Amino acid sequence: MNARLGPTAAAALTVLLAWLVLYPILIVVADAAAGGGDAVTRFVTRPGEWGALWASLWISLASVALAAAIGVPLAFLFEWLEFPGRKTLGSLIALPAVLPPFVGVIAFLFLYGESGFVARAVQAVLGLTRPPWRLQGAGAILLVHAYSMYVYFYLLARAGLAKLDASLIEAAQALGAGRWDTLSRVTLPLLRPALGGAGLLVFMAALGSFSAPYVFGGGFRVMTTQIVATKLNGELPLAMVETAALALVAVVGFAVLRRTEGNDPLIALGKGTAPRRRPIRRPGVRGFATAAGWLFAVLLLLPHLTLALVSLVPYGSWTTETLPPVLSLGNYQRLFGEPERLRPLVNSLWMATVSTFAALVLALAAGALIGRRRPREAAGRFRGAIETLVALPWALPGTVFAIALAATFSVSSPITLRWVLVGTVVLLPLAYLVRNLPVTGRAVLAGYRQLDPALEEAAASLGAGWWGVFRRVTLPLLRPALAAGASLAFVAALGDFVTSIVLYTYDNRPISIEIMSSLRVSELGVAAAFGVILMVVSGLVLGVGARR
Amino acid sequence: MRLLARVTLLVLLTSACTGDSRTPLVIYSPHGRDLLTLLERRFERLHPDVDVRWLDMGSQEVYDRLRSERANAQADVWFGGPATIFARGAHDSLLEPFRPTWAGAIGPHGRGPGDRYFAAYETPAVIVYAEQAVKPEEAPRDWDDLLDPRWKGKVLIRDPLASGTMRAVWGMIIERGLKHTGDTAAGFQWLRRLDAQTKEYVLNGPLLDQKIVRQEGLVTIWDLPDILLNRRDGLQLGYVFPKSGTPVIEDAIGVVRGARHRAQADAFVEYVGSVEAQLLATREAYRLPARLDLPLDSLPPWAREVRRVMKVADVDWDVLAERGAEWMRYWDENVRGKGEGRERAGP
Repeated sequence: MNARLGPTAAAALTVLLAWLVLYPILIVVADAAAGGGDAVTRFVTRPGEWGALWASLWISLASVALAAAIGVPLAFLFEWLEFPGRKTLGSLIALPAVLPPFVGVIAFLFLYGESGFVARAVQAVLGLTRPPWRLQGAGAILLVHAYSMYVYFYLLARAGLAKLDASLIEAAQALGAGRWDTLSRVTLPLLRPALGGAGLLVFMAALGSFSAPYVFGGGFRVMTTQIVATKLNGELPLAMVETAALALVAVVGFAVLRRTEGNDPLIALGKGTAPRRRPIRRPGVRGFATAAGWLFAVLLLLPHLTLALVSLVPYGSWTTETLPPVLSLGNYQRLFGEPERLRPLVNSLWMATVSTFAALVLALAAGALIGRRRPREAAGRFRGAIETLVALPWALPGTVFAIALAATFSVSSPITLRWVLVGTVVLLPLAYLVRNLPVTGRAVLAGYRQLDPALEEAAASLGAGWWGVFRRVTLPLLRPALAAGASLAFVAALGDFVTSIVLYTYDNRPISIEIMSSLRVSELGVAAAFGVILMVVSGLVLGVGARR
Repeated sequence: MRLLARVTLLVLLTSACTGDSRTPLVIYSPHGRDLLTLLERRFERLHPDVDVRWLDMGSQEVYDRLRSERANAQADVWFGGPATIFARGAHDSLLEPFRPTWAGAIGPHGRGPGDRYFAAYETPAVIVYAEQAVKPEEAPRDWDDLLDPRWKGKVLIRDPLASGTMRAVWGMIIERGLKHTGDTAAGFQWLRRLDAQTKEYVLNGPLLDQKIVRQEGLVTIWDLPDILLNRRDGLQLGYVFPKSGTPVIEDAIGVVRGARHRAQADAFVEYVGSVEAQLLATREAYRLPARLDLPLDSLPPWAREVRRVMKVADVDWDVLAERGAEWMRYWDENVRGKGEGRERAGP
């Protein structure tokens, strides 16, 4: 990169990101403020609002802890140990990510809900007269969050481990460090960017999570469901104040968590190769590890299987039986029989693809400008701003972000950079792009941070131009991070529900909206069939993304 | 990466190949696939140059969407939802005046101010029970029966905040108390007792139907057309018209302000209220026509039976339109989950 071009490009990128991410929110705040101070007073004086805010906060922190407790050990297991079935299991374990949020929640309901398979089976085995539990409240929300969000820790920690320099670990061991010392003083500090990034993603995802609290919350309110309830009741100014409060919590959380990520120049010099996987030698232990791995995989796959099963249940045929009495492919025939019904799938595919590409390009631009450990002085000044802007969309609940975009782009005023995009097919992919910035951005920035600048410098000194270095050195080195970020972003866009419900039009209605419509008209089987298709496509994409 | 590129190309090609020269007519409606598909096919047969496109969503959601699309209206017709929500829409200037020829055949409660909307159907709320577990003679006969200790923990309720039907029932209960005591406290006290009976507030209608059929709860309140459609499709749900009267929602239709295809929108509204379309909806999708000039013997037996046994509750819809939001907010904050002797759920 030309040294003089750096600061200009960084400034341009900052402005572009600010326009995409920050500007719509400011418009909403301004619109809400124009509505009067009455809403603020109501917000401050109601104990219910504070309760919801507190619930959002502690649920998010607990989600981070749970997701890390599951995801990080799994990453070590699959990156460091060799056992039969490791490769297959390693991809299977990322599968919770392929469950679209809303459909995943419905699958949980059919599985662990009080008339779900598991509850009925337990009831039958123990001879109980009442269902053994109810899937409701904070516990249920945390269960869903832990299940769906540990994947962030798992994938990012694996990507980090793959870049780990074995020589550092060997050096520590040669200097007499024990296993625990090596882990706590060498390996984990080296993983800090990856773990910090994952923690941040989970925290923001949990804070903005909507489907699980919506379905399982009952009387237990978090801020996202509180906002929707307020909005549905027509109190828009109050909803905007609630949104601002949530955004504030998110920004504070973001600032605190970002400190844990660290910026140690010693982190991951990335020379040399990752430690070789250690095969488990003792046959007993190996058999146990394999069996436990498969058992765990089956447990993780149960919601998917439930979905597949429900997609085979003809309408209204399954009532109080433990297992559905009739199975048929009728739902799939209905789905493929009417071309109008397939249209949403095509829509979702193109929107997810376009938005993912755009998000990757922006993330790469950000990475190239400010991602390195020692960015050029002038461009480095924009580092904080760009990083904050890239991460900000996670902090905002999807629905409200969508409303912000809708509000911003429903006015024609080119001078203030506003055009009428509401009702066009562009707005929804734009929203996906913005919402995907954090996941591609964190992955690519973490990747850049682990790059050894010496490699690029070597290529440049050997005569490669900027493009040559980027294409033949930087890009290949970034591939694991790019693949992880892109696949997660694509899958998130493909299954997005909360943004879509506000911004879709007839011409670009995505598959999640079609699932919602099917649910609304009682076609649970068709909805599940759509869910299965979505799951398979997502699975293929994530499979490609996880392969190295 | 290369895979993504290929997918993009494929998708762009397929989406470029679909073209349709007909005029699109976009309808936002909570009426569901059965009725909408039916009317879409018939209307397109009458108007071959029009492509009817409908989007199905909750009635409160339609209002929400129209409000956020005000600057660049996407919908042409708003079809379905209680007249109380339409009244708010009219108040927010979301509707265009249009007077169809059948306007005179609609009762006074079903006509919006300034011809902005008219009732197309009448949708009664009913008490619903699980037919496999409750005998018809044991089912609750009236609203107050729902408070019987027999049903403690057996009542399921569709989350009333998002549902036009439930808002109407809640409004009726509160207005009833208001009439007898001059205060809303009586109604909220009743709702508090119902809350104590309630096992769960359910996300949407279909989940509610499923949960009742699977006997997670035994009784609930829901709208009649949905129950009749479900019965036709084999779900074992029984229903009762409350003895003291049930709120009958005026399910309205109107032209969206700033509609892009105004002429087609007018034609569709005109069609929905035509005798042919009214009878079609009644016969095939269990809708009670709002037109008062249809001869009784042209209605199918089920509709005549409903007209015979159903007692309509006296609800002041204007009061409900005006104070409904405030009441729902109060209920949400002070009643939901706080009924006396309620079994606390949660962690």
